[in-house]
Amino acid sequence: MLSIITKSLKTGSLTEANPFGTQPAFGFPVIDFGRCTACDECAPVCPTGAIRAAASGSEKTLSLSYASCIQCRACVEQCTEQAIGISHDVEVAAYSRDQLARTASFAFDPESGRATFARVETQPGPTVAESAGRLRDRIRGRLGRSLHVRQVDAGSCNGCEMEIAATTNPFYDLERYGIHFVASPRHADLLLVTGPVTRNMEIALRRTYEATPEPRIVVAVGACGCSGGIFGEGTYAAVGGVDRVVPVDVYIPGCPPRPQAILNGLLVAMGIREARIGLRIGD
Amino acid sequence: MTTVISTVSAALGVAPDRVRELHPGELVVEASLAELLPVADRVVSELGGRLATLFATDDREGTGQFHVHHVWSLPAVRTFLRVSAPVDAGQPSFPSIAATYPAANWLEREVMDMFGLALEDHPNPVRVALHDDWPDGAWALRKDFPADGAVPRVEGDFHPFRPVTGEGVFQVPVGPVHAGIIEPGHFRFGVAGEPVLYLQLRLFYVHKGIEKRFERIPWGHGLFLAESISGDTTVGHALAYAHAIERLAGVEAPPRARALRVALLELERLYNHTADIGALATDVAFVVAASRGQALREGLVRLQDRLFGTRLLRGTVALGGVRRDLSSEGREMLRRHLHVFEKEFDSLIELLIDAGTFTDRVDGTGILTHQAARDLGVVGIAARASGVDGDFRRDHPHDAYAEMRFDVPIEDGGDVRARLMVRAREVEQSLVILHQVLDTVPDSPLVVPLPEQLPPWSSALGWAEAWRGPCTHWVATDERGNLARVKVTDPSLLNWPALVHAVPGNIIPDFPVINKSFNLSYSGNDR
Repeated sequence: MLSIITKSLKTGSLTEANPFGTQPAFGFPVIDFGRCTACDECAPVCPTGAIRAAASGSEKTLSLSYASCIQCRACVEQCTEQAIGISHDVEVAAYSRDQLARTASFAFDPESGRATFARVETQPGPTVAESAGRLRDRIRGRLGRSLHVRQVDAGSCNGCEMEIAATTNPFYDLERYGIHFVASPRHADLLLVTGPVTRNMEIALRRTYEATPEPRIVVAVGACGCSGGIFGEGTYAAVGGVDRVVPVDVYIPGCPPRPQAILNGLLVAMGIREARIGLRIGD
Repeated sequence: MTTVISTVSAALGVAPDRVRELHPGELVVEASLAELLPVADRVVSELGGRLATLFATDDREGTGQFHVHHVWSLPAVRTFLRVSAPVDAGQPSFPSIAATYPAANWLEREVMDMFGLALEDHPNPVRVALHDDWPDGAWALRKDFPADGAVPRVEGDFHPFRPVTGEGVFQVPVGPVHAGIIEPGHFRFGVAGEPVLYLQLRLFYVHKGIEKRFERIPWGHGLFLAESISGDTTVGHALAYAHAIERLAGVEAPPRARALRVALLELERLYNHTADIGALATDVAFVVAASRGQALREGLVRLQDRLFGTRLLRGTVALGGVRRDLSSEGREMLRRHLHVFEKEFDSLIELLIDAGTFTDRVDGTGILTHQAARDLGVVGIAARASGVDGDFRRDHPHDAYAEMRFDVPIEDGGDVRARLMVRAREVEQSLVILHQVLDTVPDSPLVVPLPEQLPPWSSALGWAEAWRGPCTHWVATDERGNLARVKVTDPSLLNWPALVHAVPGNIIPDFPVINKSFNLSYSGNDR
């Protein structure tokens, strides 16, 4: 017993005062359209279709979505123009799939084969600020600074579970933010859902959602939870994204998202932190 | 190799020309369905073979037949033996070996579920992979089954669990959504008060069609899919897949890559074993030890982040080598970290085994007997904790393991304590291996280039002894050299049935710690 006390005193507190803004080496890919020649070589190397290229007559488009990006960096290594870089921002969250994606248009001259950047298309649906307002209205005054979370694995590879569990370790200590993991959906304010939603988990997820009291916020975690990720959408075994089964309030992309990104997403869902996409395609 | 071929053919009682060497350390014998069981008997009795995996392929387009494949590990001759038998498409059934070799139980039933091949003489020929609301005829791994589109649900009263009767006897259903931050599965306990009479499992809740998915993507992308088979075994599965592709392509990773792959696999072992030991403390409410386990584990994954830019070692393995190098500064950083880690880890183990409150909960808890472990074909940590020796790093050395000196720790208690101690001693050995890699990492390129296309109509087995146990990938190509079939075997698939034998007689409150001591992957099992 004495040795335990001595050791604890020696170790002191490991909890980091501010777990955010750590700027790890690899975040998400960012495309600099000033350099991009719309050569379309990045799209085929993307294992999840997070980068898509399309062409019709004199126009080409290139889109990038963090919802399905698994941060493999294959596109970065492929880009001969060095137009694709890596952000050091991992604390990404959004209120819709659309907010996680950007599409750029290029004017294309089929004769010379040259493409010139024209514009970044307007993102469809509500803006981040509008969505943030709506979510705040829904939870207004009901949560305060306390959040009870039930985690639901709807088909994850368990990578996200490991990083969610890491948010409870002494370094991140998410309980200091008033966030607490509970054992039953009936005690929960929020469902933290991972995985592409397998056919075999679809009913369980729906029932868990129905068992959760209002305002029952749903947060989708990871590339699979946001879009089906590497496992794809609409396969025989998986639906492909939590929002195909229950309404999703906040999306936390990444494969898997780091603990600080998960923590950030939860604070976004509580209306405490502003959602930031960090998507600087042509911005 | 000719001596191995003659040893194997003599043991099987077949002509030597029926045993072909497909790749180094990988033999194949074509057999008839009637020969499957007698050959299995000989493999086990004469060669000490252990079932590594069992699966089917749909080759109707090429040969008009299905095939059933048994893959045996023959540690004595450091070789894998695949025994393949054709199944007539007009008579889709094959003889089971599960009554004699229970290791085949789930694997054969999965073949039945996914290929629609009936089982002859299987002791329990019911679905294992497909849940009851899947319609009949949804044979997902047949070539003519569409990979996309929802499969309709069947209505009905499902999955009758074995009933319990008697005064004070009742059932406790748990899951699929559990109370902790873990994966989904359903456990049905039959209990008399607190003691568990029996446990039934319902898994495959996270079946996401990974094997079918492989058939739909370029083989280069397969590596990323392999990394997501079980998130805690990213390196293990990536290596097993990469080995299979490299053997198909007839290339070998360069020396530096082979050394770094060893380092990556051992780092994965370190962080998972450390996390598990902390989690065992959590499950018996020993908070101080649990926190220290978590802190040590976080220290390791942060180190991995600094060294390779990834906490969980994603994207570190490449087909043909590795994607990340370890600089001399990186090696120094790793050395320093391991030095401190070793001391902290030792004091964590001391803290645990000196605490009577802890040992009271783990000693004699959740015993998997040696006999059961051997009969069920259990692998990895769980096998070694029940006195069943076996480790692919030593028995079928991959990457640079043939050059490494290390021990394979064996415990014979078969209880939670034994599984803890196997982990603790494996951590010591991992440190020994890591220091050897750090001292001798050779200079060479990081990757060997792969051909544009894989050879058509070919197959190869890839394997790696990951932290939980052996991961194997059997990869076959079609006429264009694209992926025609990838059979993924996670150690969990071989070990889950053993849990059922370790729990009865224990009390329900000890179930979490027993389950954690196995720490099997649901995702790796369900795929």
